[in-house]
Amino acid sequence: MLRLLSFAIFLATWWIAALLAGDAKLPAPPVVLAATIAEAKSGALFFNLWVTLARVALAFTLAMTLGSAIGYLMGRVRLANRLGDPWLILLLNLPALVVIVLAYIWAGLTEVAAIAAIAINKLPTAVVTLREGTRALDAALDEMATVFAIPRWRTFRHVILPQLAPYISAAARSGLSLVWKIVLVAELLGRPNGVGFEIGVAFQLFDIPLLLTYSLSFAAVVLVIEAALVQPFEARLSRWRPRAA
Amino acid sequence: MQLEVDITGKTFENAAGERHDVLAGINFTLGAGEVGVLFGPSGCGKSTLLKILAGLDHDYQGHISRPAGARIGMVFQEPRLLPWRSVEDNIRLAAPLIDETKLSALLTTLELNAHCSHFPGELSLGLARRVALARAFAVEPDFLILDEPLASLDDALAARLRDQITTLVGSRPVMTLLVTHNLDDAIRLGDRLFFLSPRPARIVHVETLRTPRADRSEAEVDGIKADLLRLDLAKL
Repeated sequence: MLRLLSFAIFLATWWIAALLAGDAKLPAPPVVLAATIAEAKSGALFFNLWVTLARVALAFTLAMTLGSAIGYLMGRVRLANRLGDPWLILLLNLPALVVIVLAYIWAGLTEVAAIAAIAINKLPTAVVTLREGTRALDAALDEMATVFAIPRWRTFRHVILPQLAPYISAAARSGLSLVWKIVLVAELLGRPNGVGFEIGVAFQLFDIPLLLTYSLSFAAVVLVIEAALVQPFEARLSRWRPRAA
Repeated sequence: MQLEVDITGKTFENAAGERHDVLAGINFTLGAGEVGVLFGPSGCGKSTLLKILAGLDHDYQGHISRPAGARIGMVFQEPRLLPWRSVEDNIRLAAPLIDETKLSALLTTLELNAHCSHFPGELSLGLARRVALARAFAVEPDFLILDEPLASLDDALAARLRDQITTLVGSRPVMTLLVTHNLDDAIRLGDRLFFLSPRPARIVHVETLRTPRADRSEAEVDGIKADLLRLDLAKL
């Protein structure tokens, strides 16, 4: 109910702003809706959304897996931390644009370059978060697992992983938002399809309804994924916590 | 099956880089079916000693021979349960091969049947201790380590839990090592009492109780206690 209300307020604000600013700068909702329906009918909307989503999924999975593993290693092994730390700081502070441009120059305007560039942008934040999580692991529970001779894999799954879960979920949450942002830049600069490419085209043609069509559809997809995947997953992970938290 | 302990020294370096001697001379053996009690002032190094005996700390001088492949069950001072697993899953994680009848008998002895699906965060300390105890027994240990299992429980609950420990320890031949601050608990539960000096800890007196645990009368317990108090162990 509240969500519907908040959506209605958004729509109303948009409509009023459109009336004040004029159609040339901000088209009213029906105009954008018409453009959206046209794009949907031609199939271009779904194709581009799908392509972008696939890139997000690949880059996100790659960065999370690799980043979590590296972060865990750096949190556990002092040598790994010493070796990895300068790289980490470099990557953390490298602008996304630099990574994307260099990736396209070195690997060509390819799918691999785009996905690698997006993943490299997200990687260091996952590493940092997981490293902190690993440092915060409870040594008392480790001792318990050792005394009871619980096999390594079971210890990892039942003792370590649940302690890392909040950190993994924080890394996923912040990482996902980062990937949503960067994927469009990567597409704008070097891919022939996807939401980012279409927005680039719309910008060059000054086609504001088309631009809004893609921006809003993209935002809708992000919201649906948050509500349908990320939030239920987080709720499941924290079901053992007392209710108030 | 026998545990032989001969620790000649253990030093510990604190965060400021100062070295402390924690253990000086700890020498005893413990056979199957025997309950040894470590009794000594707070901070004398009992927990350090238990850590060494449990195989968690290998940095000490001396020698320990634990039977090869001996299964260890341990109740830590804090229960150390996994907060994200239910009571039953906590027990099963340590003892994945336990059979159903044994598990349910254990849960009945410790009066935990009603709490199987609860999470540890929902339990009182007394209950959590009992779960930790259930976990230690579920692995069918050859060597059982109990680190102050009765501390900070009220008298009635402590007495009940003590009886439950007696029952469980009596039910199979296990080497048991118990740490306590309470002389009553020590006399009721133990077969041999090892009295430790203040830090660095060494064994200053060994009291062997000849009457089997189950046959010790109140009067006998009081008598032993009076004798031990007369020894004035603080001065040894």
